Amino acid sequence: MRNRYIMGLAAAAIAAVIFSWAAPSFGQEPSQNPGVLAGKGKGKGKRPPSRPTPHGPDGHVLLGPLPGEKGVWNGNAGATLATNVGRGLDNNLVNLPTNLKIPDVPFQDWARALYESRQANNTADDPHVRCKSSGGARLYHTPYGLEIVDIPELERIYVMGVGGPHTWRVIYMDGRQRPKDIDPSFHGYSIGHWEGEKLVVETTNYNQRFWLTREGIPHTEFLKLTETFERPEYDTLRYVVTIDDPGAYTKTWSGGWAIPWNPNDEMYEYVCQENNRDARHMFRGELP
Amino acid sequence: MRLRALAIVGVTGVLLAAAPLLAHHSFAAEYDAKKPFEMKGVITKVDWMNPHVYFYIDVRDESGKTVNWAFEMGPPRLLERGGWKKNTMKEGDEVIVAGTLAKDGGKHGNARSVTVAATGQKLGAASSEGTIP
Repeated sequence: MRNRYIMGLAAAAIAAVIFSWAAPSFGQEPSQNPGVLAGKGKGKGKRPPSRPTPHGPDGHVLLGPLPGEKGVWNGNAGATLATNVGRGLDNNLVNLPTNLKIPDVPFQDWARALYESRQANNTADDPHVRCKSSGGARLYHTPYGLEIVDIPELERIYVMGVGGPHTWRVIYMDGRQRPKDIDPSFHGYSIGHWEGEKLVVETTNYNQRFWLTREGIPHTEFLKLTETFERPEYDTLRYVVTIDDPGAYTKTWSGGWAIPWNPNDEMYEYVCQENNRDARHMFRGELP
Repeated sequence: MRLRALAIVGVTGVLLAAAPLLAHHSFAAEYDAKKPFEMKGVITKVDWMNPHVYFYIDVRDESGKTVNWAFEMGPPRLLERGGWKKNTMKEGDEVIVAGTLAKDGGKHGNARSVTVAATGQKLGAASSEGTIP
């Protein structure tokens, strides 16, 4: 039995070495060009040079593939709005260097306690695991990729995510005013506009039935998000979000990450509800 | 039909065949990375569905009792990219499964690789082990 235990430990150590080599991460070196991934990383994880930012006929940045090509933005689970080194949430090659550290996030006391509780429970209570739609920043680091579909003729942009309950959101680009008395929803009500190379989106009317991020950043129905989407090169989407939520924070704060382009994939059907068995297996905390 | 649970051995080659992937839930909330396993058994059911493929095998434990275990893999799309087909393993096939046991102590785990005994074909299971929440 003792030999079996030792063999198990040895196997785990070997596994740790192998996974650190095989993981498609961007390594641990600090980012020299925030939000640009080309050339970053080491060994097999090193990103190749990228083509320049693509533009459509109207001059706006294309946020999807060039006509005739394929590709999706990869889900990016290492991305976090705020660095939490103790929990391993510190991928400084995808996360922007301006991101706050968790102790510096202006949580209200209850919101900080809730975040810490979610982390201590290994995010076992994440609504996404129950196949709830992922609003806010959660959509942009959810497996297994997303596509941004700009339809200038309709003056709308759709964002479609793979890894959830067939998730999509709409961003109105027609200059409309925000309606009054909108019911809160998972993706809120989004109005966007272009500022040069940058898509800027303001969203309100969120419900509280999702987590703002995968790691459990909380929010309330007072939440207003201002998101910016930039494509500094073909292979990178730079996502930045400013959180204005007087229900959960003492002041506004921002964070973001770089999302890598995957030129070899396309959207595919993935309906989380089909056979979801994970919620019943979630184990909160650590084993004694 | 001769079945038996196997000791924790030889996982190195298995791990080489598998790269960590994203999952729609925290690996640490469901599985105990300190409890790797390898088991041999006969397939009783395969659910080739999202968000995870599940399959079930009958395993004879050290006391001779047959126990049905459930194992999670990645979603069908990722498995197919790794060489799987829907019928790569089917009811009645004998397989060897390597992976990680569940934290709740139930008869289920996260598969890291599956070897079909009749053909010797070993495939990664698109495991999410190695990812963070």
